[in-house]
Amino acid sequence: MPDSTSHNLSSIRHIVAVAAGKGGVGKSTVALNLALYLVGKGAKVGLLDADLYGPSLKKMLPEETLPSQHPQHQERIIPAKSRGIKWISMAHFLHEESSASVRAPIANGVIKQFLHLVEWGDLDYLIIDFPPGTGDIQLTLIQEGALSGAVIVGAPQEIALLDVSKAVAMFREMQVPLIGLVENMSYYRVDDKTILYPFGKGKGECFTLENRMYFLGKIPVDPEISRCCDQGESIFAVSFESEAALSFASVAEKVTDQLISLEKLAQSSLKNFDLKWKR
Amino acid sequence: MEKIDSADSFIFIRAIQQKDLHRFTIEWSDGMISEYRLCDLQRMCCCAECRDEKTGRMRIAPSSVADDLQALRIVSVGTYALQIFFSQGCSKGIYSFKLLRSKW
Repeated sequence: MPDSTSHNLSSIRHIVAVAAGKGGVGKSTVALNLALYLVGKGAKVGLLDADLYGPSLKKMLPEETLPSQHPQHQERIIPAKSRGIKWISMAHFLHEESSASVRAPIANGVIKQFLHLVEWGDLDYLIIDFPPGTGDIQLTLIQEGALSGAVIVGAPQEIALLDVSKAVAMFREMQVPLIGLVENMSYYRVDDKTILYPFGKGKGECFTLENRMYFLGKIPVDPEISRCCDQGESIFAVSFESEAALSFASVAEKVTDQLISLEKLAQSSLKNFDLKWKR
Repeated sequence: MEKIDSADSFIFIRAIQQKDLHRFTIEWSDGMISEYRLCDLQRMCCCAECRDEKTGRMRIAPSSVADDLQALRIVSVGTYALQIFFSQGCSKGIYSFKLLRSKW
């Protein structure tokens, strides 16, 4: 059910889903690096880890400040802040090795709290790291989140792209504009002259043509990306000129361009309305 | 090549207004204006209790919905639908813009 507290999101300029329909393709890596790049450009950025059953962002960001209870409004939550990004994750409320085994109504309640009761404040971007699949939590995020658009992450493998097509169908059905597809784990550079495509070449671009979507770019298989994620480091701080960092930067630039175009098109649309009936 | 997805591929609400106690109007992003009577919408409620999921048949009799039905609130659901909180009867249905455009 739509929540009357959706005004909490009204001072966020762009709400962006990062989704795949499938697990293990690098949604969290893409979401995090998108956030890191944007915050590095001076934007105000929030990151919502909506993968309640497998939250991974806590491992990927250093613990600077943890979420806390609002001093005046006890039901509200001040989000964690790391590397300038405001963020929240189910992992903040669990021990590292315990599982969030909750049924859908509880999970939906948590997602609504993350959207409506976290003090996001004024943001340029709220990036939502979607859980895998096209189920209940995804529907809640779309219904409650008034998303500006969705970035789809895929790996160049037919089984991964099959699940991606389900996510694409879900977003289309629910009128969330598709910003485009990022092909993660796209290739491996052996040296200056040799590039390997361990999962196949050109499948992501082919998918975007078949599905009328923009191709946002390719992210290489690079041990440095994994190392940065595992150790909570920013690839932009470690090696801004590396191929991996430049590929994330290029994707992020295309995403922001697309969001500006979408914003212009959607300017006259009415979002988050609540018409009270007069008697 | 077919057009790439963007916000103009979709239909949005530009304005929504109460017309009288029992009706409201929507101005769509393409300029079309549609008028809806609350009782008509509740009679076609698409929630799982009012409509058989398999056959699509209504489980409620149209006559059980009063012609003078009123609303309490009409709220947006994401960017694709709205939900009406009726003064009585079922308020669980989510009315997608696609559905609202196809019926009127």
